[in-house]
Amino acid sequence: MGDKADVWQGTLALMVLRTLETMGPLHGYGIARRIEQTSDNLLSVNYGTIYPALLKLEQEGYVASEWGLSDNKRKAKYYKLTRAGRKQLEKEMREWGQATAIVARFLSPKEQSS
Amino acid sequence: MRKLRAWFFRLGALFGKERHDRELSDELESHIQMHIEDNLRRGMTPEEARRDALIKLGGIESTKESYRERRGVPALETLLQDVGYGLRMLRKNPGVTAVAVITLALGIGANTAIFSLLDSVLLRFLPVEKPEQLVQVSRRGPEAGSQGVPIFTNPIWEQLRDQQDVFSGAAAWGDMRFDLARGGEAQYAKGLWVSGDFFRTLGVRPAAGRLITVADDRRGCSGVAVLSYSFWQDHLGGAVSAVGSTLSLDNHTYPVIGVAAAGFYGVEVGTKFDVALPLCATAIFDGARPRLDNRSWWWLSTMGRLKPGISPAQLLARLELISPRVFAATVPPNWDVQSQKNYQKWLLTSAPVSTGTSGLRRQFERPLQTLMVVVGIVLLIACANIASLMLARAAARHREMAVRRALGASRLRLMRQLLTECLLLSTAGALLGILFARWGSLLLVRFISTARDEVYLDLSLDWRILGFTAAIAIITAILFGVLPAFRSTRVSLTAAMKSSLAVDAERHARFRPGRWIVASQVALSLVLLVGAGLFLRSFVKLVTLDLGFDRANVLMMHAEPRTAGIQPEKWMTTWDEIERRLSSLPGVLSVSRSLVTPVSGAEWDQYVHADSPNPPAGDAATTYLNAVTPGYFRTLRIAFLSGRDFTVQDTATSPKVAVINQTVARKFYPSLNPLGRFFRLEEDQGKLGEPIQIVGVVRNSKYESLREEDYACAFFPISQAPGFGGGPNFMIRTSVRPSAALSLIRATVAGVNKSISLQFDTLARQVDDSLVQERVLATLSGFFAGLALLLVTVGLYGAISYMVTLRQTELGVRMALGAAPGSILRLVLRDVVAILVAGIVVGTGLALLSVQLLQSLLFGMAARDVLTMALAAGVLSLVAFVAGYLPARRAAKVDPMVALRYE
Repeated sequence: MGDKADVWQGTLALMVLRTLETMGPLHGYGIARRIEQTSDNLLSVNYGTIYPALLKLEQEGYVASEWGLSDNKRKAKYYKLTRAGRKQLEKEMREWGQATAIVARFLSPKEQSS
Repeated sequence: MRKLRAWFFRLGALFGKERHDRELSDELESHIQMHIEDNLRRGMTPEEARRDALIKLGGIESTKESYRERRGVPALETLLQDVGYGLRMLRKNPGVTAVAVITLALGIGANTAIFSLLDSVLLRFLPVEKPEQLVQVSRRGPEAGSQGVPIFTNPIWEQLRDQQDVFSGAAAWGDMRFDLARGGEAQYAKGLWVSGDFFRTLGVRPAAGRLITVADDRRGCSGVAVLSYSFWQDHLGGAVSAVGSTLSLDNHTYPVIGVAAAGFYGVEVGTKFDVALPLCATAIFDGARPRLDNRSWWWLSTMGRLKPGISPAQLLARLELISPRVFAATVPPNWDVQSQKNYQKWLLTSAPVSTGTSGLRRQFERPLQTLMVVVGIVLLIACANIASLMLARAAARHREMAVRRALGASRLRLMRQLLTECLLLSTAGALLGILFARWGSLLLVRFISTARDEVYLDLSLDWRILGFTAAIAIITAILFGVLPAFRSTRVSLTAAMKSSLAVDAERHARFRPGRWIVASQVALSLVLLVGAGLFLRSFVKLVTLDLGFDRANVLMMHAEPRTAGIQPEKWMTTWDEIERRLSSLPGVLSVSRSLVTPVSGAEWDQYVHADSPNPPAGDAATTYLNAVTPGYFRTLRIAFLSGRDFTVQDTATSPKVAVINQTVARKFYPSLNPLGRFFRLEEDQGKLGEPIQIVGVVRNSKYESLREEDYACAFFPISQAPGFGGGPNFMIRTSVRPSAALSLIRATVAGVNKSISLQFDTLARQVDDSLVQERVLATLSGFFAGLALLLVTVGLYGAISYMVTLRQTELGVRMALGAAPGSILRLVLRDVVAILVAGIVVGTGLALLSVQLLQSLLFGMAARDVLTMALAAGVLSLVAFVAGYLPARRAAKVDPMVALRYE
């Protein structure tokens, strides 16, 4: 249980940062929808988990928030990437790329015999 | 860094909680609304749209909860909550809280007080720079494992100072008592002879002026004085003009060049110096027999500060390397050949001395450790009292616990709550306890001080004392908190919700450990009572000991001729004149002088060669000697068994005579009449002195201390023992209280010479002062045993009362069914007796195991003393039985109707 949650927490933060990078400032609902859509609805999670994750990123200074108006003229809290967040995203993407490459190499069956 | 920043925010979020909560609600509300709008656009009905939005979110409240956990510091918030709740609970029962806090404060205070004494006597570092670099140098015999003796002559010190290459600085010092007065009553200052490098080596800075340097310590110096900070403050009001003024010490004046830093009391724990003079100034005091070149005058202690990088092994190796040269250059010329040979084989050795040197430490190490254990046990007993109080309260709060469990609180959460309450109690106890301790330890220091040796200890709070108290507070909280917390959170929900006999039964079961707690209290307090009994009895034995002399109504007067500038050859005649005039005073029964006064701790002993067949030789021939005037035995009321007292006809020119005591007669002249026989004293180098004829035999009396057993003693007329200052120690037997005769005596001495300074004491007090260690142990262990007894009484009373209350219904039913009050009484008393017997059996076992450790502190009795044990057990049983009987009787008297209606 705990392990899975940790991985999820980590990757969720990465997804949030990436979403904010591509979409620009966005509210929590928008971020959750976007993540769901990007994953082709393969990832189906409670939207609620996005809020503690956003809070953590905000506490760490990777995102900043402010109240604004949505497209439908509704009051919403908008999150945007900070400079530190951008750096962090680059770093995490690099690390993620490396990690998946290594794992992929292990899982590739042909490499083993040579 | 990011982590730190996040924590900062989380701590910040502890404040302004409402605003944050409102903002979160708004955010989630807008989230749901946006989701609903999207869903509506996709063609859902409004109900469906709302339902879907809520499901996707995963519940508003649970989202809020996980958000909050991330936002603040949940552990801290719960703690604050627990503390707040705990404080409310404690306030709700002010009586119980007060009793608990005071009990704890007594226990913790006693521990802190004894510990702060232990700390300053045994543990605290010297108030100097980097004390861990200091070592004390001593000398030892060449055999492996022989004990180091840290006392040197000045020639050895000079050799050591010049030959050593391991110390960045070396210092030597010796003690001296100076008389500040110029006649009249002596006013003593504690003096310190210090080598030139003393202050620099220790790294002590001046508070005013400058300190003694190497330049001040040159042969033939005229002497300079450095004051201690406290002496400067107390005697000179801290005046700046004190530096540059002069100070009169034993009738010599010295310029005051400076004041040592505040807090520097010297290097011996338990004392403080008033004035320091360079070693070279001893020549001014010593006159014809200077000690600086004397190779058998042992008076200096030495310390060195290790050079950086020198290991202890290197230090020892270097010291041993220079030892042959040091000792070869300082052989005492008056020693016999064999002794001189042995002397040259001596080795220098060293030991770390970061905590200073101390005679007080040697004297009080064991008693303080013993007392530490005693107060530890008292605290345990106090903890037990509070534990049973908590148990009783836990039983009362049983329904509250059940309700909270039912509402979903975890057991761990409830235990944490209860332990927080305990910690609050013990913290309050510790704070109050520190106050008690401050007051108690000052009292203790006054208690171990005597007229002769005023004890000075630095008792300021340091991290060690505060840490100790904090640790004690936490440990006590755990001790008295865990069991009740554990028991009280074990709730059966169904039983708790029922309100009837079932609850009572469960409460009763819940309180069962209470009996064990009380029984262990009984056991522990029995150990304390036995210990206190042993100390008290051995103290009483010492106090009521037959000393062989009569201590009552004897005034002691020490006269100091140097302040009056009387030449040594005039001393004897001056004292004779004073003795003659004093003996004719009204109220004075007899007057005498002696070199050594009884039980002063001073001694003069030599080997005696008797003219009997096969007399004892070597150490067996050690005899303790004294030089006295003719009135000595009469003044002390030491009975003559045969022969005569000294008379005025025994003069320096008449045949040498001596009075011996029973032990000498028995040891040296078994089955012979010693009267008229001769013995000789072994002088330096094995030379024998003149033959001395025995003219009298007296009863044994204590010579040096009360603990000694039948020392062999011989007395000579002072007139035939020159070189002892003519015996400046007067003893005056008065027919009234000695203090009443004081002014007359003072005036009489002033009539002979106004400038002689005098110091008074009484023989009774001198004897008392020699028992300070025993008195401290007896009084304090007695006090703490009394405290323990009180705590046990309260504990037992409380526990039995509570058990009776719990069984009220049951007892009511029994009585309604016809049980006689007597049988009810017996029923309850059976519990009391069971607890008592268990406690006393275990306590006796514990006492038997532990008292052996006290043997060395006792006098004239075995540690496993049956009478003491029986008495202790008897007193404890009696008191405890009464404490249990009162609630039992109340139970038997209760009206069954009241008891039943109570349900």
